[in-house]
Amino acid sequence: MARQHYGGEPFSTPDLQEGVEELRRRLGQAGQWLRGSRGVLVLGGLLLLWLASGLYIVGPGERGVVLLFGKLWSQAEPGLRYRLPRPIQTRQVVDTARIRRAEIGVRTSEGRGTPVPEESLMLTGDENIVDVQLFVQYLVHDPVKFLFRARDPETVLRASAEVALRGVVGQNTIDYTMTEGRVEVQERVKTYLQGLLDAYETGLHVTEARLLVVDPPRDVREAFHDVVRAWEDRERLIKEAEGYAEDVVPKARGEAAQMLQQAEAYKAQRVIRARGDAARFLKVRSEYDGAKAVTRERLYLESVERILPKTQKFVLQGNGNRDVLPFLPLRELVPAPTAERSQPPARSGAAR
Amino acid sequence: MARIVIGLVLVALLLIFQSVFVVAEWQQGLITQLGKPVRIVREPGLHVKLPVLQTFTRFDKRILITDAQAAEYLTLDKKRLAVDHVSRWRIRDPLEFYRTVRDERGAMARLDDIIFARLRQEIARHNFAEFIREKRVGIMQAVTAGTREMAAPFGIEVVDVRIKRADLPTEVQASVYARMRAERDRIAKRYRAEGEERARQIRASADKDREIIVAKAYEESQRLTGDGDAEAVATYARAFGQDPEFYGFLRRLETYEKIFAEGTTVILPADSDLLRYLQGPGAR
Repeated sequence: MARQHYGGEPFSTPDLQEGVEELRRRLGQAGQWLRGSRGVLVLGGLLLLWLASGLYIVGPGERGVVLLFGKLWSQAEPGLRYRLPRPIQTRQVVDTARIRRAEIGVRTSEGRGTPVPEESLMLTGDENIVDVQLFVQYLVHDPVKFLFRARDPETVLRASAEVALRGVVGQNTIDYTMTEGRVEVQERVKTYLQGLLDAYETGLHVTEARLLVVDPPRDVREAFHDVVRAWEDRERLIKEAEGYAEDVVPKARGEAAQMLQQAEAYKAQRVIRARGDAARFLKVRSEYDGAKAVTRERLYLESVERILPKTQKFVLQGNGNRDVLPFLPLRELVPAPTAERSQPPARSGAAR
Repeated sequence: MARIVIGLVLVALLLIFQSVFVVAEWQQGLITQLGKPVRIVREPGLHVKLPVLQTFTRFDKRILITDAQAAEYLTLDKKRLAVDHVSRWRIRDPLEFYRTVRDERGAMARLDDIIFARLRQEIARHNFAEFIREKRVGIMQAVTAGTREMAAPFGIEVVDVRIKRADLPTEVQASVYARMRAERDRIAKRYRAEGEERARQIRASADKDREIIVAKAYEESQRLTGDGDAEAVATYARAFGQDPEFYGFLRRLETYEKIFAEGTTVILPADSDLLRYLQGPGAR
């Protein structure tokens, strides 16, 4: 009964003797069939087909990896390639040119991104919470490592990207991450992530790590917007004040220039007039020197001629100084010069 | 005769299939004989064992990842934290591995226990702020080292343990948001006040400039006026000084003309110098 494992064969019969007989008969038939030329042809054809199954194509941008009984044998460049058929050699083809992408904190499908808050909300170094979405591009850099050194490298990449992102964001303040530090955070995430991927022997290379969104969480967004508005207010107030200064100072300079010019003008005219007056005086005096008495008389009379025609005149006999008082007020003796020229007093009183 | 040959061939084929096996590049394994470990196979390729009696158990040789559920921890300053870690490990010794944890599922459960304990211990030694900021890497290294040591007896080599998410529990988030809002309000107020401050400075400075410019111009214009007056006075003095009496005479005549406007009433004494000839041709 040591040969009980024959029981697994397809022609098992309860009786061993009968079974062996049956087998012999069948093998004999097959041998006879094989001896015919048709049989040889069929067998040869099958063999050829089996050998031909080792042909495979490595597309452009791909790398083939050939295993001999499961052990790494060789790598193949793009083109039509041959390996020994199964089960002797097997092959795996990896696309090493295709840029692969992963998103943290968001899932994009058909161009629309759906945020994933449990991934995108994270703590910053100053104990605030920030909403960050990361986009990673990577490619397979080493197909052998990619296939054989880490299980499921692309899942590893996702988890590692989260580790790197949260690690870096946790080391910086929210303001730094959101503003001037954004590019640096991006760079450090990339470096950190690549370090992890190398340590885990994933054979992946990160070509780009980009922060898509760095925002305050929805609950506090309004407060952050108000800070931006406050900054704008600040700038506006300063600009308005600067506008005021731009207006006031030049006007003052203009006023000053005007004052100076007026003073200059005054000074100049004062001097010139003085010179003119002096010249006139000297001229007259030089004439006067020759005939003092006559000139004096003449000048006096000319002046009186110019003055007296325009005036009301009263001539008093005797000592005018003493006798003039009884006549006062003198004005009532004659009609006022204005009333004399215009209408009667009654009319002008009505007009008033 | 033919019968025996055919029988032998069949037996031989069967034995070959039973004793030859392939280990792939990413695999390793353990040969056991009736449940007793015999030999570890690490090299990929074609290998041989005794048929029937011995069996080959395969294990993964790659780096494996365990993404654990988040758990809550207490920091030194008694703040609660929800931490979610990932660990990466590989099966270093299939024999120990098989003997102690049997398979990957068993290994993961054991690893999680170890890591939770280590994390709890490490996090409890640090303040919340430290943990978030500078100590994260240090804590991860400490946990990795501790876990590595404790997992070694299970034939497991721990590559590293990393903290993926470290979040505040949901009910604490609300108070964080409130604090963030207060913080932003403070900054907004500061900006507006700064704007006011600068604006006032600029306006005051402009007003000051204006006053100074105008005052300086006044100063200069007064000086110029004075110069003009002084020079005029000097010129007059030089000219009139040559004959003060004649100047006085002329100037008075001029003054008379100015002050006796039209309509002025003049009382002339009949015996005045001007009218002296009204008395007769030979008067005086």
